[in-house]
Amino acid sequence: MNQRSDVLTLEAVGKSFGTTTVLRDISLSVASNEFLTILGPSGSGKTTILRLIAGFEAPTTGRIMLDGADISQMPINRRPFNTVFQDYALFPHLSVRRNVGYGLMVRGVPKAEIGPRVEAVLAIVGLQDYALRLPRELSGGQRQRVALARAIICEPRVILLDEPLAALDVALRAQMCKFLKDIQRRLDIAFVFITHDQQEAIAMSDRIVVMRDGRIEQIGGPEELYGFPASRFVAGFFGENNLIDGVVRAIDGARCEVETPIGPLWGVTCGPAAAVGAEVHLSIRPEALVPGATEGHRFLVRDAQFAGPTTLIEAQGVEAPEVTLRLRLPSGGTRALPSVGDVVAIGWSEADARVIAAEGSNG
Amino acid sequence: MKRHSGLFDVALGALALVSLGIIYAPLAVVWVFSNWQPVRVRGALQLAPFSWDSYVALTRNADILGALGTTLLVGLVSMLLALILATTFAMYYWRTVGVSRQIMQALVFLPFLLPPIVVGLSLLIAFRELDATRGAFTIVVGHTVLLVPVVYRLVLTRLNSLSPSLTEASLDLGASHCQTFYHILLPQLGSALLAGALLGFAISFDETMVTLFLSGSTSTLPIRLWSMMRLGFVPEINALATLVVLAAALATAVFGVMQLPGKRGAR
Repeated sequence: MNQRSDVLTLEAVGKSFGTTTVLRDISLSVASNEFLTILGPSGSGKTTILRLIAGFEAPTTGRIMLDGADISQMPINRRPFNTVFQDYALFPHLSVRRNVGYGLMVRGVPKAEIGPRVEAVLAIVGLQDYALRLPRELSGGQRQRVALARAIICEPRVILLDEPLAALDVALRAQMCKFLKDIQRRLDIAFVFITHDQQEAIAMSDRIVVMRDGRIEQIGGPEELYGFPASRFVAGFFGENNLIDGVVRAIDGARCEVETPIGPLWGVTCGPAAAVGAEVHLSIRPEALVPGATEGHRFLVRDAQFAGPTTLIEAQGVEAPEVTLRLRLPSGGTRALPSVGDVVAIGWSEADARVIAAEGSNG
Repeated sequence: MKRHSGLFDVALGALALVSLGIIYAPLAVVWVFSNWQPVRVRGALQLAPFSWDSYVALTRNADILGALGTTLLVGLVSMLLALILATTFAMYYWRTVGVSRQIMQALVFLPFLLPPIVVGLSLLIAFRELDATRGAFTIVVGHTVLLVPVVYRLVLTRLNSLSPSLTEASLDLGASHCQTFYHILLPQLGSALLAGALLGFAISFDETMVTLFLSGSTSTLPIRLWSMMRLGFVPEINALATLVVLAAALATAVFGVMQLPGKRGAR
């Protein structure tokens, strides 16, 4: 991530509507060919960030910079960004061809030039044969492609996508994920993608910005957010997780020892450094847990759910019944899976245990 | 469920038929009288043989034709003015927030809610103070005042039904506000404007109360018919009424066809 050239930078941006503050102190940058996802639950302020970048709203505080120049007050129609709207916002009275060519038409590009460029962009999104259709004559996925074609034809520096897959069914969504990523690589421009779906975020993003209550919770690559969540919120957002509550007993560099109901455990510190005596969670992914370990803690298997390639097992501590662990094991493994009622020793590699600061509010 | 309600449906149909019959019978009488002129033979009503005489007489009645011409002109001009003004008002209300748009809307609606006699009288006094000669111009002003709220309502309803992202998408793609209005909003308002134009013209066509105050020596058709009531009707009135009904029916049919979904082609 050295040598990256940032096209777009948000500096301490805040936004309030009346007395309601929806964004606080947002600072982030977008590299010129990056697929950046802003991920968060509804009401976390992610769409407001997009609207500030596009220019539909002006920031209350802070600055938005394009190539180092402040564009916070630049009118929408002068910004070199184009948006793919959640409802696509295709112009219902215009054909696909005229929808896609609209951005060139209003800029006064000669008609003779618009035609071939529309054809070229429609070819990229695979809709050459639909040029004369009206938006209402297209399927959801096709409308999506038209919206994308309309955005890329103006050759913007950044494409902004506001939950564009939310209206599509699951199968189509996976297909469009791959499609969007391919297009982004091919055009080699920045995509800022808004979603509340962590699957989409993980599948497509170079980096993910996790939003919560109008603040940035964590920024990082998908592996980083999955492997080293900085907070319980992030840990919970990306997949399943086992959390064991405890108190820090000792610190050794990036590791620390946590006193838990099942005894002292070592883990790798994530996020801000913990102090001795601090309340923390020890977080272990279900797939990192190993049953039948020689050195482990005794657990009673309570439930086993077959889920195709993997089986989810729920186990309760024998010595510490308040601790429940969920294990995800390969269904067709060489070893027999534990059955309900078994008492097994569960162990894990120390490197798979993460220490995350506990939160007063949501803990 | 439908199968068991046969008798009920028949009753409903009969009721509708009778009601429509009562509404349309007078119109039918007018049409019959326009082609078969009524004559009184020793006190008994009889119909003369079929003829186009009343229509021919109508084409020669300069009085009525003049009034009709004024009515059409006034209707057309005040309709166009109302379309422009109402669209402007509606756009303002749609695009802004706050108290000012509420005040504007109240002022737009007020003339429609006031008794026409008040509107007419106040306009009359104002024009007299301004030394404006009463005639087609003053009637147009009066009618426009009455039409704007009607068209405004239609246009605003349509604007409110549009997704805000349409305008945003247009601006986002580099269009100016004017381009957005012309290329995106205006086509979307088409049906509302057409409805407004038809309704506005129809209201202007038979407006009598306000027009009475503002017409001076100029006569619109309703004023002309009004004054004829004292002198007795001439046969060509039957012909005129029949033609007006036909024109209204035609306009309604055209409007209905244009509202059919999936008829508009794309280029």
